[in-house]
Amino acid sequence: MYGIVDTIISWLLFIFGVSIPFYLILGAIGISGFREITSYEKYDSFYYNVNASVKILLSLVIVMIAAFSIWWIGAIITFAFLASYITLKNGLRKVYLAGLLVLSTIIGTVWGYAPYEPLSIVSMALNTPVSHFTTIWTWPPYFSILGYEHTLTLQSLYYSFQISFRFSAAIVASLLLVMTNTPAQIIKTLSRFKIPDPIIFSLVVAMKTVPAVFESFDTSIKISMMRGYGGNKPKFLRPFIILGAAIGSIVPTIVHLLRGAKDIGISADTRAFRAYPSRTYFMLTPFKREDYFFLGFIFAIVIMAAVAIMMGFGRAIPYLT
Amino acid sequence: MKAIEIKNLSFTYFGDEKPALTVDDFYVNEGESILLTGRSGSGKSTLVNCINGIIPNVISGNITGSVKLMGKEVRDMRLPDVAKIVGTLLQDPERQVMNYGIVDEIAFGPENLKMPREEIERRVKKAIETMGLEAFVDRETTKLSGGELQRVALASVIAMEPAIMILDEPTSNIDPEGTEKIFKFIQSNKEHMTQIIVEHKVERALPFVDRVVVIDNGKIILDVSKEHLMRDVEVLLNAGIEIPEEYIYAKRLNLETVDPDTVRERIREYGIHLSRRERNNGGERILTGKINIEVEGRQIVNTEINLKKGQVYCIMGKNGAGKTTLIKGLMDFLDRKRFKNNSELFIEGEDLSDKDYVIRGRKIAYLPQSFDLMLVNKTVESEIYYSAKHRRMPEFKKIGDELIEMFSLEEKRQTDPLMLSTGQRRRVCMAAALASSAHIMLMDEPTSGQDFMNKKILGEEIHNLCKKGFSFLIVTHDSRFAYRYGDYIGIMEKGKIIHEGEPDEIFRFSSQYGVIEPSDYVLRIDQKEVLS
Repeated sequence: MYGIVDTIISWLLFIFGVSIPFYLILGAIGISGFREITSYEKYDSFYYNVNASVKILLSLVIVMIAAFSIWWIGAIITFAFLASYITLKNGLRKVYLAGLLVLSTIIGTVWGYAPYEPLSIVSMALNTPVSHFTTIWTWPPYFSILGYEHTLTLQSLYYSFQISFRFSAAIVASLLLVMTNTPAQIIKTLSRFKIPDPIIFSLVVAMKTVPAVFESFDTSIKISMMRGYGGNKPKFLRPFIILGAAIGSIVPTIVHLLRGAKDIGISADTRAFRAYPSRTYFMLTPFKREDYFFLGFIFAIVIMAAVAIMMGFGRAIPYLT
Repeated sequence: MKAIEIKNLSFTYFGDEKPALTVDDFYVNEGESILLTGRSGSGKSTLVNCINGIIPNVISGNITGSVKLMGKEVRDMRLPDVAKIVGTLLQDPERQVMNYGIVDEIAFGPENLKMPREEIERRVKKAIETMGLEAFVDRETTKLSGGELQRVALASVIAMEPAIMILDEPTSNIDPEGTEKIFKFIQSNKEHMTQIIVEHKVERALPFVDRVVVIDNGKIILDVSKEHLMRDVEVLLNAGIEIPEEYIYAKRLNLETVDPDTVRERIREYGIHLSRRERNNGGERILTGKINIEVEGRQIVNTEINLKKGQVYCIMGKNGAGKTTLIKGLMDFLDRKRFKNNSELFIEGEDLSDKDYVIRGRKIAYLPQSFDLMLVNKTVESEIYYSAKHRRMPEFKKIGDELIEMFSLEEKRQTDPLMLSTGQRRRVCMAAALASSAHIMLMDEPTSGQDFMNKKILGEEIHNLCKKGFSFLIVTHDSRFAYRYGDYIGIMEKGKIIHEGEPDEIFRFSSQYGVIEPSDYVLRIDQKEVLS
């Protein structure tokens, strides 16, 4: 028989999983924090001198290594690159903000996977029989409507925790690219990779628009709250009030940005964008000493990951037993 | 040679039944400068887009007739080929500039044309020199003021070396100093570049053009040389276009000149007394603020501000003076992690210094420049009810209905506010902001991009609300609006209000702070006040 206390705890666990990532993203990082870790700021340190193409290569390599190797390799990569953010402009703050993002990714992924993951799959991934699993909570039967497994096991949490580092490693590497390279540098790199101009242009507009998106979104949310949205509710509910206001602010923000996007399109078209299949570049970005050094570092990571996989540390891929 | 030649042009947007633009015969000679004016939605942008090839290449619709550029038919040209002939400067530089670096932005066009690096370098250098960008060429475009950014946008168009330049309301988002630099460029390039200046404010652009073209309801209703404009003043007024007051008096008095000083002397000789608005500065003080804002250890605003009941206080000054930061600081809209706000704020005797924007919102309403961001509801009615409803006011419908009536929105009650015209959306936003029961309203550049009629309506609405006890703090570059509807003006420089007083007092010396006096003021200098 499922008691009332168990029911309350189950719902509290459910709410924990949903609310903590939201709290971290909206309450702790905030919209302005997101803007800080997704925008380029001029500075002079190692990462800022590394070519965008090398950082794109780094992102691809990290995504692949995190996917193929055992979870702790992804974890080491995540935390090592996160720590290296200290060398960026306002480095300590960027470590803090990106750290919160990593934390919300880990909690979100664990809570997004663990309750849903069929035990048979977890058993195959961890190469452990289901009978050896440690049950830490039994959900009310009606939670199956949400797609939940009947029980939450320690192994499910452990498996989901492992998966989370595939995402966190990729996030940390990608943020590094957008924080230390201008859109123009990225255009040139992508163009060198023969990526079609319309796709490059879309990315550049997106990069240029990201800070504006956050700013407009922030203004819209604040105006809603200033106009009384959630004004009578206790302050500890603020992240949820912000979430509610944020949902309402999506449409006006998109409409506002689309009106701007039309002008950006006209601005490019009236300056002969796509006049020819390719463009010339006035500012060249030749490879420097830092690029070769960093390429060597990426190569070393690949070698170490390959060795680790060959030594049997490649079992992060489910079903590969 | 004719730079632009249009014959039997008609353009209908997809989904519309009637054409948005019909032009039988229109031309612009090589080296000529024309002012294209008309109220919002009259067809100015449609005409411009037919000339620069955006119609039909980007904006689709049904187009008939002929548009020729330097003798070549636009419909037979690819858009990049049109771009080699016509350069277009848009209204909002923040939407035009897409690169992070200034040099990247200027080089964007020549790079698209696959020019050799040496040629790109030559063009970039020339554009930087022409627009005087040397002092800040290494700065990031995101850190520039509106005026600086507009000069970068113009430099990026100049680098294309177009034979025809279209400037679409180039100064509506920038301060008088930035405006001066844009018009200086127009003046100095008049002879070797055909120019079309699209502008609501005839007063600003008139000295730099040869001909004035007025569009109304998608048709050219006036095409006249600048010298003959005076005889057609009524046409402009009927078309809802803002024209300098000296033109009206010059015509009435049959004067040969429109120089404001001369017109003023003649007005005086004829014994005509020009009316002035009674300034309302006698109310009780309802807002007192000592605003002190720092960013990264640098003080960016440090000023006192006082607002009286029923008063319209206009904050003016150059771009970057700290006007918007002041307003956002008063509202507690600045990011607390980045900005340090050590401010004191008292409203109607209540200390709100430590209160956030949620609490301050009960006393102050705020209308940002991008007012569309306020519109979170599906109908005008629900938008206006929103604030009072969320504040759990039992009479929220009564409050909302009164505002709907006050702002003449009855017919639009069930319409999606985002689907309304700019002027209507601004009215919905004002009504929605006032529904919060706040009696103080902060507005950031409310006249930006608005035509004469919309500005007039806005001014009258503000005036009527002041009679009901509302007070306004308005950031504006629009000297004429501030003179006509403001009670008090504060000149802001380097984060501080350094002069404040009634408009007639302030405009005596405001030009030294980048605030140009309007001709309405010039005509009234030393006049005896006679209230009409």
